[in-house]
This record gives sequence, structure tokens and C-alpha cells, in this order.
Amino acid sequence: MKSSSLVRAALTALLLAPAAFAQTVTVMGSTALGPLVKQAAEDYMKSHPGVQIAVSGGGSMTGLNQVVSGGCTIGISDVFATPEQDKSGIRNYNLVIEPFTLIAHPGVGVTSLNAQQAEDVFTGKVNNWKEVGGKDQKIVRVNRPTSSGTRAVQQQTVLHGKEFSNNQLVQDSSGAVANTVATTMGAVSFIELDFLNRANGRFVGIAYNGASCTKQDVSSGKYPLFSFGHAYTNPAKTNPQVLKVAEDFLGYMLSQHFQDTTVLKAGYMPVAYVKSLKTKL
Amino acid sequence: MPDAPDTLLDAPPCASDPAREDLPLETLPKEPAFRHSRLQRLADRWSHLLFLACGLLVVALIGGILYFLAARGAGAFLPLAGNTDKVLTLREVFLSADWDPNSGKFGILPFIAGSLSVTGLALLIAAPAGILTGVFIAKMAPGWMKTLMRQVMDLLVGIPSVVYGIFGLMVVLPWVSGKWLSDSPAAGFAVSAAILAVMIVPTIVSLSTDAFESLPLSLEEGSQALGSTRWQAIWHVLIPAARPRLLTATVLGLGRAIGEAMAIQMVIGNNPQWIALMRGATDQTPILRFLFTPAATLTTELVQELPNTAAGSTWNNLLFAMGLLLYLMTMGIILATRRLGRQRNA
Repeated sequence: MKSSSLVRAALTALLLAPAAFAQTVTVMGSTALGPLVKQAAEDYMKSHPGVQIAVSGGGSMTGLNQVVSGGCTIGISDVFATPEQDKSGIRNYNLVIEPFTLIAHPGVGVTSLNAQQAEDVFTGKVNNWKEVGGKDQKIVRVNRPTSSGTRAVQQQTVLHGKEFSNNQLVQDSSGAVANTVATTMGAVSFIELDFLNRANGRFVGIAYNGASCTKQDVSSGKYPLFSFGHAYTNPAKTNPQVLKVAEDFLGYMLSQHFQDTTVLKAGYMPVAYVKSLKTKL
Repeated sequence: MPDAPDTLLDAPPCASDPAREDLPLETLPKEPAFRHSRLQRLADRWSHLLFLACGLLVVALIGGILYFLAARGAGAFLPLAGNTDKVLTLREVFLSADWDPNSGKFGILPFIAGSLSVTGLALLIAAPAGILTGVFIAKMAPGWMKTLMRQVMDLLVGIPSVVYGIFGLMVVLPWVSGKWLSDSPAAGFAVSAAILAVMIVPTIVSLSTDAFESLPLSLEEGSQALGSTRWQAIWHVLIPAARPRLLTATVLGLGRAIGEAMAIQMVIGNNPQWIALMRGATDQTPILRFLFTPAATLTTELVQELPNTAAGSTWNNLLFAMGLLLYLMTMGIILATRRLGRQRNA
């Protein structure tokens, strides 16, 4: 009967689907890196028919947790894995440089801060913009949640390891930070460079220490405000065939062509700009 | 069949019914009055099982969530497998206001105090407003206004909470900051409680309206016959008479407010050190300090930090314990609601 052959076909498809899925390279983690990796996946799948790469989000920590437990093939993250996670044998690939910048409300009247001033603004030593050359307005700091990797990088590079002042607002997404800085007088914060490029004047960028986010300043270390975009694999918990495809895909993302075109277009920088990993960010 | 009995499975026994052999044969009718087909009886029995299975599934889900929260949360206090970090004592978590996870300090009192403060403030605004609106709709509004207001309340309930949050962030905060606070940031309990109040008022209004409409008319008429004004009748007779159901309405609003995360995290400022910050802000009067210091609640902390913490770490486990705390608080509120509702019938 027609219905029974249809049922048989459906059951066969259902049984084969996990086998097909098992050959897919699954990528999970940072929503900041997601769009870039998705773009790379589409290009790679076009040039390598028969390969399936599935990209989803969940946040940096989710990606790391999943790759450690074997729940996904590649975990993408804006932060380094914790020492405990490193112990489980995961392998790191630095994919891109993610630059960020200081931003402020347009009315503060400051366009640049030197390293000491920036540190004082965020640690709470300075509480009014007029002390750093701006208008007479109270400084309103906007930060990320305590567990955020971006906050950790900011603490290391701008605050040189000191503590943030506890007189601050916290927002957890870049979008919310951008909106808060744009609508709050005297607000100051830090955000991915890409957001500043799309700000349309709602908030302004603040130059750090006379350096700007260009290739020379980033390579020479004059502009330290960046973190790395990472991809982690777990060879011990991955099917060897899938692992091979995954490593080839990561090789594609690290290739000169991809780095010099797609990466720059997406608002990031090629990882080659930073010759040495001086500090663990 | 015109004279079939209502409950067809309990058809009266007849001579051919093998289950009723004890009945004297002469008194029973010879043939069954009505009998469903075998398929219909089978369907009836299986549907009973299906509904039972659905009910059990829901109970299993709720139990499963509770177990999951407890299993992960317990890792913060007990040395379980899967922990990558130290364990904490109950005292340093529940009796300490010192929250600094990067230095190993995990006192969650600021979050508990924050949740209670913002919920309390929201209820302070929403309960009187909601109950009196309920009085208005039930007792004073003309028919067309009654329908209109009911529809407006339903509409308010349907708005997603994140929309309230974005509205608060983009419109309310700058407006309050510019107009009332000479441009200092307005994030804090005041704006959060105001937005929460708008979210829970529809619940309180609907239940209050029902409460007043279900009161016997004789109460109001009797009071007015004895010479009271309309307001005296409402305040001295109707509100006390409806008190158990009004309490239920308030407690349900409380339940919704305490679990709200998305709307408040955009306007509350999310600062776990708000208690220390409040103590230090001596340039403002105490009441302003309380209303406009960026604060934090259990729900906002959970929604912001859970995605960024590593599984198995003390912090991650403690966040699950906080989730369990919220779960138990909500359960307690629901049980309180049922008890209050029952007292009315006693």
C-alpha cells in the first residue's frame, strides 16, 4: 500500500539522519564571532561540496563548555579557556583580533585620553569630566557583567589590573551598552570597534593614548585594546573524519585570503597583526 | 437511542451482564437498555489513560526542573563530582552582603534584598491602583467603558516584557534623568518598580474586578440603605468583604514581579555592590539614594552572568542555587495563594 511505503521511507530517513548529522561539523559559542564564522562556513561549503558545517550561538562560555564535553566540534570564544578547561586537552586556534574602543556620550567634550587618565576614569579616581579636559559633568561609567571576557580584557589593558570603581551601571549586551551611553549624560564605556563605525553620531569614540586602531599601532603594541577570537577543538572527543574536516576549515579561516578580505570587512583584524602573544588576555 | 442513560459505561445491569451475577434474575430487564460499541468503550478507557499521562508528564517536568536546579546548585555547597572549584558555606552565601566572585566572595544578600525591594515598591504602586481600578470597573463604570477597560487590560498583559525593558531604557530613563534628576543617571529601584507595576497591574485589576463582581449586591445595598455614602460602602463594607480574593490578586502580582528578569535588567543598573554604593553616596538624601542607585536582583544576576560562567565552577553552581531559591520562593507564593483562596470558603 502507498501509505506503508511512505512510512518505511520516513523511518529510513529518520534512522539515517543521525548518521548524516554525525558527519556535520558543529560550531557553537560566541555570538560576536558567529557571523564571521557563518560567512566562512558558507564559502567553505561552496568550495567543498558534501561537507556540512552548522554554526549556532550560546555565548563564549557555552561554546567552551560544549567543546570540552564533546557536545560540539568547534567552540568559538572571545576569551581564553580556563586552566581547568585547558587540562581536558582542547586545542586553541587564534582566529582574529577583536579590537575595541572607548566611547562616551557626545556632550562630554573629550576626544582623547592618555593611559593614566583612562585608568583613573574607570577606577574611580576621577569623577568629573572637567578633570580630564571636558565639560563639568559627572562621569557615569557603564560596564559589562563581572563574568564578561571583554570586561576582563579592559581591566587588564586599560586599568592595568586594578579594580573598577563600584559606582557604575552594568549592561550585558553591546547593544544595551551603546544605547545607555547614547542616552545618559556623562556616560563612558568600551565597545567593539564595529559598533563605533555604525554609531551615526549617537556616541563618540575616545582615542586611547594618542593611538588609533590601525595596523601599525596594533602591531607595535601602542594600541592594546583588543582580544583574540578563538576556536577550540577537542581531538580526544571528536570523530577523526570530522576532526580532519574541522581542522581544514580552520585552516581556511586562517588563510591569507580570508584574513585579508572577509575578516577586515567584518570589522576585525587579521591575527597576523600581532606578532607575539605577550600577555594572556 | 432516545432514552439512553447519561453515563453510558454505568448502564444499569441486565440479565446478560456477567458482572452482576448476584442480582436476582427475575427483577432484571431481559435485554440491555443501551451498550456502546467495543471501539467506543476502548476509546474511552484509552483517553482516560492519555489524560493521565499528560498530567504525569507535566508533574515530571516540574519535578525534573527542581531536580536539575538542586543537583547543580548543590555543587556550590557540597563537594560533588564535576566541581572544578571550592565549595561554600551556607553562612557566607546567605548571610553575607559581600559579592566579589573574582576574589572568592559570594554573599548573595544584595540580590535577595534587591529582589524584595523592587517587588515591594512595585506592589506599593500596583496594589492600591489595581484594587481601586477594580472597584471602578466593577461598580462605577458604564457598560461600554467596562468592556473597553477589560480589553485594554488584556492588551497590556500581552506585551512582551523585553519591550517594556527597551521602552524603559530608551524613553523613561532619559526622561526621568533630564526632568527630575538634573541629568544624573536614573537607573535604579524607582524606574524598575514603576515598569514592574505597569506589568502587574492588569493581573491585579482583572482579579479585583472579578472579586467585586462576585460579592452579593445585598452588601452594598444594605450599607447604603443604612445611610452610607457610596465611598463609605466601598471602603468599609465591600473591600473588607472581598479581602481574601484581593489578597490572592496581590500575591499573584507579587509572583509575577519577583520572577521578572528581562524588563528590569535594562533599567536597574545591575550593580551588585549597590548597598555599599548607597551607603557611600552621602551627597544625596537617603530616599533619593534608595530610589536611584543602580542595584541588582536575583533574576538580573542570573540572566547576565550564567552564559559567561564555566560549568562546574563555584560561581556557575551558585547561580543554579539562586535559581532554585527563586523557584522555591515562587512555589511558596503559589501555595500561599491557594491557602488564602481556601480560607474564603471556610
